[in-house]
Formats: sequence, structure tokens, C-alpha cells
Amino acid sequence: MSENNVTAGKRHMGLKASRVLANSTIYLVLVIISVIWLIPFVCILLQSFRVESTYQVGYVMPQQWGLDNYKNLFQTDFPRWYVNTFVTALVTAALQTVIVLCMSYTLSRFRFKMRKPLMSFMLILGMFPGMLSMIILYRVLKDLGLTQANAVPGLILVYVASSGMGYYVSKGFFDTIPKSLDEAARVDGATRFQVLKKIILPLSKPIVIYTVLTAFMGPWGDYVFARYISFGTSAGMNVAVGLYNWLNKDQIATRYTMFCAGGVLVAIPVAVLFMCLQRYYVEGVTGGAVKG
Amino acid sequence: MASVKLTDVKKVYDNNVTAVHDFNLDIKDKEFVVFVGPSGCGKSTTMRMIAGLEDISGGTVEIDGVVVNDLQPKDRDIAMVFQNYALYPHMTVYDNIAFSLRLKKMPEDEIYEKVTNAAEVLGITEYLTRKPRALSGGQRQRVAIGRAMVRNSKVFLMDEPLSNLDAKLRNQMRAEIILLRKKLDTTFIYVTHDQTEAMTLGDRIVIMHDGYIEQVGTPMEVFEMPRNVFVAEFIGAPKMNLMETELECSGGKYYVRPFGAKIEVTGSKAEELQKKGVGSRKVLLGVRPEHITLADASAEDAIPCKLEVNEMMGSELHLHVYTPDETRLIVRVPTINLSAEKRRAMVYGAQLYITFEGKVMHFFDKETTKNLIYGD
Amino acid sequence: MTNDMKQGRQSGAGEWIKILAAVGVVLLGGLIYLIVGGIFSGIGVPMWVSGIIAAVIIVPLTLGCLLKWDKLYGVYKSTNKMETLRLSKTEKKIYGLMSIVLGIPAFFKNLGLTIWNAIKAAFSAIGKELADIGSTFVHGDWKTKISYVVMGFGCLARGQILRGLLFLLFEAVFIGYMILTGSYWLSMLPSLGTQGPTKEYDLILDVEVTAYHDNSFKILLYGVLTIFFIIAFIYTWRVNIKQNKMAEKILASGKKLRSGKEDLRSMVDDQFHKTLLALPLTGILIFTVLPIVFMILVAFTNYDGAHNGYTNNLFTWMGLDNFNTMLSWTSGKGGNTQSYAATFGEVLSWTLIWAFFATFTNYFLGMFVAMAINKKGIKFKKGWRTILVLTIAIPQFISLLYVSKMFARNGLINQFLIGMGWIKEALPFWEDATWARITVILLNIWIGIPYLMLVTTGILMNIPADLYESARIDGANAWQQYQKITLPYMLFVTGPYLLTSFTGNMNNFNVIFLLTGGAPTNAAASSASGNVGYTDLLITWLFKITTGAESQYYLASVVGILVFVVVAVISLVVYNILPSIKNEEDFQ
Repeated sequence: MSENNVTAGKRHMGLKASRVLANSTIYLVLVIISVIWLIPFVCILLQSFRVESTYQVGYVMPQQWGLDNYKNLFQTDFPRWYVNTFVTALVTAALQTVIVLCMSYTLSRFRFKMRKPLMSFMLILGMFPGMLSMIILYRVLKDLGLTQANAVPGLILVYVASSGMGYYVSKGFFDTIPKSLDEAARVDGATRFQVLKKIILPLSKPIVIYTVLTAFMGPWGDYVFARYISFGTSAGMNVAVGLYNWLNKDQIATRYTMFCAGGVLVAIPVAVLFMCLQRYYVEGVTGGAVKG
Repeated sequence: MASVKLTDVKKVYDNNVTAVHDFNLDIKDKEFVVFVGPSGCGKSTTMRMIAGLEDISGGTVEIDGVVVNDLQPKDRDIAMVFQNYALYPHMTVYDNIAFSLRLKKMPEDEIYEKVTNAAEVLGITEYLTRKPRALSGGQRQRVAIGRAMVRNSKVFLMDEPLSNLDAKLRNQMRAEIILLRKKLDTTFIYVTHDQTEAMTLGDRIVIMHDGYIEQVGTPMEVFEMPRNVFVAEFIGAPKMNLMETELECSGGKYYVRPFGAKIEVTGSKAEELQKKGVGSRKVLLGVRPEHITLADASAEDAIPCKLEVNEMMGSELHLHVYTPDETRLIVRVPTINLSAEKRRAMVYGAQLYITFEGKVMHFFDKETTKNLIYGD
Repeated sequence: MTNDMKQGRQSGAGEWIKILAAVGVVLLGGLIYLIVGGIFSGIGVPMWVSGIIAAVIIVPLTLGCLLKWDKLYGVYKSTNKMETLRLSKTEKKIYGLMSIVLGIPAFFKNLGLTIWNAIKAAFSAIGKELADIGSTFVHGDWKTKISYVVMGFGCLARGQILRGLLFLLFEAVFIGYMILTGSYWLSMLPSLGTQGPTKEYDLILDVEVTAYHDNSFKILLYGVLTIFFIIAFIYTWRVNIKQNKMAEKILASGKKLRSGKEDLRSMVDDQFHKTLLALPLTGILIFTVLPIVFMILVAFTNYDGAHNGYTNNLFTWMGLDNFNTMLSWTSGKGGNTQSYAATFGEVLSWTLIWAFFATFTNYFLGMFVAMAINKKGIKFKKGWRTILVLTIAIPQFISLLYVSKMFARNGLINQFLIGMGWIKEALPFWEDATWARITVILLNIWIGIPYLMLVTTGILMNIPADLYESARIDGANAWQQYQKITLPYMLFVTGPYLLTSFTGNMNNFNVIFLLTGGAPTNAAASSASGNVGYTDLLITWLFKITTGAESQYYLASVVGILVFVVVAVISLVVYNILPSIKNEEDFQ
């Protein structure tokens, strides 16, 4: 009896010890990963305050701290690019959300003859590289006068117009709201529009926020479309295109630390917004991946 | 308060599966009709077609003499309680019940009056300011009923409203629905898969199977005069025993020969058989468990069998027995009829003798499964 | 007797299939050889090594197949799948492979049948439509008959003013457009313009000026638009006829037609889906469908920098010439230049390798990180996640560009390492093909893991805990639990996601372009077209083709179409193998 107890006790200790070992290994791995993940961001932040050299150096800590890089940003077109991007992101977020929600709600809730063919058709369309369309869209927008210096409305148009194709994630969300709620409301006397307004939308806060967030973040990172449409005109560039040019061979020597400063200014609002709304992003991403 | 008339109503899905075949039914004003059948029999689909939630593939649905096939649900003046309650999770109980009234643009005073009245009737007044997720299953059920109640609509539809509740609550709510029906005094259509609910609630029961109506009748009719084997087995618990046997007709008297015994058919059943002119033939004999009685070993025509399972239900025993030719039968014996000694002897393998009551037997044709007396 | 014959026939078919299977195995071996060789040669390992690896995989497989053939094929053919349960572990593996290989003909047969049925259905639908149009005319009243010419007349005559006016307006706009410009664009479409810019002598100013005439670009664009418009018109015309037929039917049955007010109200009720879809679909039609159709057509022209269709030269139809150029193994430019096909092959193989590694490294590492953070007893779960998620929160162009410069020849890392005296010469992160390819894949892990961590965290938490409890009681250790429960569950749930992420990685422009810009340059491949680099994907190559001095738009279109074909084929095949599509309910 007592012997039994002893062996059980030993085994218990063994279990505990192995768990401690496993957990400390995991902690070690996590710490290493975190360091790797943070290094670039710490470096970019530190280098944005470096005054002594505007080019790449072999150390991280600035020898001379200062806000010169940030001040210099305002001598360039950077503020213009920033405003361009901000306006684009804001308008895109608003319009794109409306479009995506219309599309996904319809495909989730209505059963009409063309529904399946429509979805397959969009699936096939999505397999064409979108960049190909840029060549013609550039020419069309140019005819409309929406390129170069006027790139912002042109860019918004491009982002928003085909955003209906990205309905998958929010459709997945709508699919999880029981259909009987719609039916109950319709029996209660609601039109389809009232069902959407009074029942579905109030329940869709997470997905609305997710859609707004991703739509808002998209334009901050887009390089290729923005470059096409601004087409070398500085006044029409967004931050990605503008800052990319600073790292060209002929500019990098003088603009490297300014790139870092610009990057910090771009990253902070976007990252803060993202971190605040992280919960909704995770919900959307998880749901979307499962639904395919 | 209205009549509902379904004429040749049909439901064919896109994949060409027919869920409901030519459904014909006249529901009178203020009648309580129950659609009952196993899952997938088309009962819910039929109700949803009446509600307008499902397109009608063929035939017409009339409410109060108006064909409503092309009307939206909101224009049909119906109320409906859903199986999973379908309460709007973002609204309080009050707002849930008031939803339809607000859509009608009723003044808030009036809405308040109606909602609080309904809440009082259902005993949910204290929950009016809560959200549905803070309620128990039974309370949610009441809210769902309340939401339908306040509308004073022509027809009251209920789609398996009790199937998400536990057994005890279900019995309680069943009784409350009977009371509610008295108060509302309107036309009810009720869908369930539970024959007990159907029997206890309905003025008339519509038994459905594979998209067809098997029988329509009062609870007493479908219980005592099942038109076919399906209805006979579906209604009544435990279900009816069926066995193949000979029906003999000699000298104006009818006998059945189950398991070698010879039992005379008596009473109205014999008269009915005579009227129908049924002669000697093979039949599928149906005997309800409560119409099998234990007999003494010495009794004439006692059928020997062995006990397999003894289910003690309290007031009665359900004995699962098998005859020498391995036919399984269920016998329902009131506990009160058995001495303590006899009850103790009811163990696995015990030898029992049974006999059938001659006046309550059902005779079916084996091929068509129709009742020989009420089959057409 | 009959039994014997049956057996004879069966074994005859068996032999035939055996040969087919052998061919399949050999092909599989070749495929492994090519893939492994492709990856390894990038790192500088000679091809014979990958030959050995392929042989090591294939030879036992072939032997196993040959030895176990009769048994396994018997099981495969028998309808009783219970027999598979009695196979040994290796036999089961061979059996699995065998059923995939043997399933290929059936797959193509089904595919063919599906397409054939679709074509048949389309033709019979058109036939029915035509018959209905005819019969409506014959049986219709005079209002209906006039509607065949004057759209909306029937509606107007029957009191549906709003509908009638819309139909009429559409017809008027269409006719007006066709007369004013549509017919011009349509007539020019076959030639894409006849007269390019000319030099003309301006008498007044006494200089040579350029006079512009036809514009091939606009002709193609508006030609396509006009065709869209015509299709829309035919469709609307058909709707107009259907409406007449329906209206007649409704009136005949003694009911009333919908009034304009009711029509408007139905737009937020039973027709609400049309209202909701109108705007998104218009956007997609103009900004996605139209450009794609246009670009597909460009692949059949010679539209490039030197033939921009207006200011220098017109462009014109070239038939299949561009596809011939792209897919032929002889160099179009002669001399030492490489053929397009060879260049395309190189870029494609790297694209596939990249997509494979980018997808699966992220997937498994992301899953492990998620599991590590989720493990019971690990604290600061939220904190760890937040640190990782930074790479999602910060716009990619900042993080990628910055990291790219960190790894440059004179970047932070090289300078630091040299400064510390650990290396003498800068590491060729972006200069050497192999280094660049591996660095890109590693840095993609940095960018991709957080996203996968988020995705998998949610799914991992959805795995019912009792599955693990039951497995532990059955005696499974941590690794076995992962292998038998976590992994199958994850693969099942994320199957479609893996597919989209694979095709997404094939087209992952941002990561490649911002990190390397395709560098280092592949001189041999670049001789074909564009400034092709060793890390260039098809999509970045396509971009370079359109932006270079030559701007060979027609080639870019061909590449784009080929990308589509590759993506479509992969999706189709994988989609048909995926268990989550096949057995939808397994894990639910």
C-alpha cells in the first residue's frame, strides 16, 4: 500500500519535471523567436534617430541622436504622399466595406438561379494575375485624367471597383448567422432590406470591423498599382512608391535614414490601429481560412 | 383566425428530389392541426410553404380564401415559432416581442400594453429587459411564443417548438400550449416528430411519410383505425406488434392463428370484417402491447414465450418476449395486475404465456400494408 | 465456363492496367527527379544526387507494386472495401498511391464528361430559348408582337409604365450608340486600325507635324465594350419578351400586374439581391472582366512599346504567333540567346518551388508556434502573439524593404559580421542565386508565420479536447497525438486554404519584388526577354516585361494566360483530391 504510494509519487514528480523541462524549452524558443521578430523593427526605429550618417552602418545604436531625419522629411514630398495614402485608405475602407458586404451578404443569404455560376465565375476570374489588368486600367484612367498627379481618385476607383471579388471571408461569417433569424424576421413582417438593417447588420460588427480594417490597411502597403497609376509623378505617389524610390542606388546614400523615419511615421498609426482591432482581425482570418 | 386550404401542394427541389407530393388538406378556422412524421417526411417543408419561407413548386395555398402562393411571408399575416427559437440575440426580450409591432408602426404605448400582457400570460415579465442569451431554454421558448402571440395573426405556426427542451420541461410546455390555444382561439398548425405531442395537442393529426400524407384524422381515429402499417406502428408507444398469420373465416366467425393458437375475433372488428366481406386469407396481424395479456400455462390457446427484457416503467411493465419461432413481441402489463411474487419471477429467460384480446386487433394486407377494414 | 471467360478477360484488363501503372510509376520517378533536381541544382548539388534520391523512393515502390500487385489490384477492383482493412502498413501506403495513379484516367474521363455535358446543356438551353422566342411570337397578342421591335411596348400598353420606359430608353440608347460610334469600333475591330500617324506638311506654320489617325488601343477597347453592350442588349431584349409572355399569362389568369410602385418596393424585398449585387458586379465587370478580356486579346496582337497603337505604330492581330514564340524551344532572336520556352520553364520551376516552400514552411512552422503558445502552462500568450503579429500590422513595404537592405552587401548584417571579425567578405545574400533563393524563403517565413499562427490558433482551439483525452487514455504520446489527431484535423480543415495559399504564393508579387526585385540577374534567361533574375516569379517577370524599354505587352499577356492555366490546372487537380471536399462531413 505505502509502496504503491511511493511509486505513484515518483511518477508524479517525473511528470512534473518533464513538464517544466518542456515548458522552459518552449519559453526559450519563444524568446528567440521574439528577438528575431523584433530586431528589424527596433533597428528601423533606432536608425530613424541617427544623425551622424545617412547611409547604412554596421551598428544599431546611433552615436548621435536627433530628429533631423524627421525634419528633413518635410522638405520632401513625403507629407504629400502621406496625405495621398491616408485619403486613399480612408475612402477605400468606406466604399470597399459597403461593396464587400453587399456581395457577401447576398451570396450567403439569397438563393437565385445565377448564384452558383456567379461564384464559379469569380473563382476563375481570380486565377488571372490581377497585374495584367493594370496596363489597360492605366490607359483608361489616363483618358479619364485620373492618373499621375490625380492618382488618388484613380487608385480608389481601382481598389474599390473590383473589391467585390474578395467576399469569401465575410460570406463565411454571414453563413454562421442562423438563417432562422432571417426567416423569423420575415414572418414578423420585415422586408429583406429591413432584415439586413435590423437583424443582420447589428450582429455583424466583427466582420464589418474586419473588412474596414483590411480595406484600410491595403492601400498603405500597395506598391505595384500605385506605381502604375502615379507613373513617376511625385505628387500622385503613395508612401510605398515614394519611399521605395529613396532606396534606389542613386538616392539610398542620402535618404536611407529618412526612409527609416518615414517608415516609422507610416507604421505607427497603422500598427496602432491594427493592434487595437486585433481581435476582429483574428476572428475574420480564422473564419475565412476555415471556410476557404 | 382563418381557414387554411392546401390544394395539390408540391415541393420539388432543384436536384429534382420531391419533398412533398400532392398535399391536400382543409384546415378549418380555429382548428389545431398537427403534422407528424419521422424526420425527412416533408412536414416542416409543408409548414414552411404555408409560411412563405419555401417556394411552392405546384398547387395552391389559400389562407382565408386568398391564394398566397406569391405573397411574401410578411404579407401572409402568420406568426411562427421556430425550433431553435430564432430570438434576435442583439435585442432584449422586450424588443424581440415588440419587433413585429414596431414594423407595423404601432404606437409605443400600445406596444407596451401588448408586450407586457403577453409577458404576463407567459410568466416572463421579469426577463423583459434581458438579452436572450441570459435565458434558459424554457424561457427562450416562452419568448418565442410571446413574439408570435402579440401579432394576433390569422394562423399560428409552430415548427417543433418543444424538441430542444428536456423531457420534463417538454411535458410542462405541452400543457401550457394547450392552455395558450384556449386563450388565443386561433388556427394552429403544429409540426412535430413526437407522436405523444401530436396525440395530446391536435384536434386533427396529419401523419406524413416520405412526402405523402398517410392518414388524416382525430387522435382517436388514427389510434384506433390506422389506415396502414406505417400509421399503426408510428402512433402509440411502445409500438404495435406485427406478425404474419392466417385469418380464418368459418361459419360467420373469424379466427386468427398466431403461433399455433386459435383466437376468435370478436366485437366490432368481426362485424367490420364481415361487412367488408373478407374471407380466409393471410394477414399481417397487429396487436398493441396493451392488448396482449399474460395467461396461465393451462389456459386454452396460450402462447408460450420467453422473457428477454423487462422494462419497469413504474405503473406498468414493458415485457420484451420472444415466441418459439423467434418473433419479438412487446407486452404491456399494468403493475397492479401482478402479485409481488410474479413480479419477482420476471427475469431473463422466464417462461411466460400470453394471449391476445380478440376485440382489438388490426388486420393488414402484407403487400399493400393497408388496413383490411379502414384501408381505403 | 462463363466464369473462366470472365476471369480471362479480367486478367487481360489487369495486364493492360499493370503496364499503365508501371508507366505511372516511371513518370512519378521522373517527376521526383525533376523536382528534387530542380531544388538541389539551385543550391549547386549535381543532378545525379537527385537521381539517386528519386531511385531510392521509386525502386522500392516499384518492387512493392510488382510483388503485391495481384493482391492489391484485387482489393482495388473488389467492391468490398473491407478488404483494405486487412492490408499491412506498407501495403496500405502502396495501395493509396496505386489508387491515386489508377484514378487519373477516371478523373480525366469525368472532367471530359463534365465539359461535354456543359456544352450539351448550353446548346440545348439556347435551343429552348430560341423555341420559346418563336412560340411567344406566334401565340402572343399584338402588344407582345410589337414588343419584338419596340422594346417595352407591351409593358407600356399593359400599364407598367416604369418598366416600359426603362426598356424603351435602353433600346434608344443602344441604337443611338451603335449609330454614333459603336458601328465604327466594331467595323475597325478586325483590322485594329488602318492608318497610323503620318507626317504632314503644315503650310501655314511651314513645319512637319505629325497627324494622328486610328488608335488601335481604343479600337480594341471600345470594340470589346461594344460587344459587351450588344450582349447586354440581346439579353435585355430577351427579358423584354419573357416579360410580355408572363404578363399575358398573369392577365389571363385574372390577376393584376405589378405597378411601378410595387416594382420599386420589390427592389428592397424579393428582388433585394439584384439591388445589392448591381454595384459590385458592375465594378467587377468594368474593372476586372473587361481588362482580362482585353488582355487575353492583346496576347494575339503585337502591342508593345514600339507599336503602341497611336503615337508611333498601330498594332494588329498576330494570330497564335506569340504563343508560338513563347512555347518554342528555338530562340526567336537567334544567336546565343535563350529561347522563351527555356526561360519560361526556368521561371516556372522556381515559381513552383518557391510556392511549395513558402506555403509549407509557413504552414508547419506557424502551426508549431501556435501550438507552443497555446500549450497549457505557457504564460503571456497574448504578449507572444502581439510581438509576432507586428509583421502583419506594419505595412509590408516598410518591413520588406528594410530587411532587404539589412541583408544587402553593405547592409547592417554584413557590416556587423565583418565588424565583429566573424567573416572577411560580405555574404552574398542577394548576389548569389542559391543564397538569394534561400534567403527569400527564410525571410518569407518571418513575414508569413504570424499570419499562419493566427489562422491555426483558431482551428487548434476548435479541436475537441475529448479527442486528446481519449487518445491519451488509449496510450498515445505527444508526438502520436500530433500525428494522429492534430495534423489530420488541421489538414482536413485547412485543405482549401492551403490550395489558395499555394496559388497565392505563386503570385506573391510583394515579397519577391520588395525583397530582391528578382535579383540576381540570370544572364542566360534575360537574353530572351526582360531582366530575368533567379528569384523572379512568373508574376514579377510579367511586371518587368511590361515596364522595360520594350514593354512587350503581348508577351506579358501570354505569360499571364499561362499563369492562369498553371493555377487553374493545379487548383482543379488538388481540388479533386482534397479530402475536405470529398468527405465534407468527416470531422463535423
